[in-house]
Amino acid sequence: MSTADELIHNVVTYSQIPSSRRRREIQRELTAHIEDFIDAARDAGHEEQEIESLLMAHFGDARQVAEGFSHVYRGERRTFLVFAYALSALLIASSLLIAILAIQTSLAFGFGTSISELFASKHTVVQALDIVAFVAVYLGLTSLEALFVRYRFQKAAILLAAIGAVLTLSFRCMGYHPAFLFYGLITGVFFRAVRLFVSAEVARVGIVLVCFGFAGFGFALLRSPVSSVDLIATCASWLALGMGYLLMSRLAPRVDAAVLNRLQQI
Amino acid sequence: MEIDTQFLKGSISLLLLHLLSRGELYGYEILQEASRRSANAFDFKEGTLYPALHQLEKKGQIKSEWRTAENGRKRKYYSLTPKGKKTAVAYERQWQHLTGAMAAILESK
Repeated sequence: MSTADELIHNVVTYSQIPSSRRRREIQRELTAHIEDFIDAARDAGHEEQEIESLLMAHFGDARQVAEGFSHVYRGERRTFLVFAYALSALLIASSLLIAILAIQTSLAFGFGTSISELFASKHTVVQALDIVAFVAVYLGLTSLEALFVRYRFQKAAILLAAIGAVLTLSFRCMGYHPAFLFYGLITGVFFRAVRLFVSAEVARVGIVLVCFGFAGFGFALLRSPVSSVDLIATCASWLALGMGYLLMSRLAPRVDAAVLNRLQQI
Repeated sequence: MEIDTQFLKGSISLLLLHLLSRGELYGYEILQEASRRSANAFDFKEGTLYPALHQLEKKGQIKSEWRTAENGRKRKYYSLTPKGKKTAVAYERQWQHLTGAMAAILESK
């Protein structure tokens, strides 16, 4: 790659402009400018190597130029990031919901428990809202972490908790009780912490199995009377939920990056 | 004399709008023209010109069009929009007023 190509490549890359059409146009414009500069320098009798240093001196720092472009197109970038975030959250949440419902359905079949209860509209809606809230919080955490340099997870969690508090208050003012927001925040922060602070995958699986096993056990006991089959089925259902979330926490950043990358190509 | 970049930053919109008020130009020509008319006083980093041009275009003060130049190369020509023409006039008035006031202060004893 020549010095000019590298310079243009750096400007376009650091500018973080979402639209590929616009990036290509800037690339063309800067290429035309540099070609004119090189022609003029050659006409003035400069040597090739001298021209490269002249170009670097006259053009300015690539990062500084990129910052200029980044500032001009900051609105587009924000809109794009919010759209990519929403799309990723929707994609991941719907895939996760389908996977978890499929596992829970097979468990319900296995234990001979009521399928109609599993697919009762309230249960499905509550579970869907919980999953969407969890995915939104998890992706929100990973996105917000990028804003900070130190204590990234802690700061992102505090910021997200503040956003959650404002949203909860707004819902309450409208007469709704958004338990799913609280659930999403707790599970999202829990799985992010497990992913960040526990390095061995076996240990992560163990932690999730223990925590979700106990949670399932606790929730089953809330229903009284409860049969031993219902107790085991509820625990197994919660374990399936926990493992689904753990798998999601592994795949979500990749899906998010792929969605972002794909959207940037459009 | 070298001009402080902070002075330039504040006046680059006026400079670009004024240069384009004389006719359409492409990026490299704008720099050449600024340098020629100011007797090389405006010798700023060339790369910083383009974000400024894109900013003005985003504000609707200038418009651009890709065209093939005489030497066969494609270049992006910029020209003023009606909004840009009005802004150029307003900026020039403000500049005259400001420089007049500043000169009065600097020359006062």
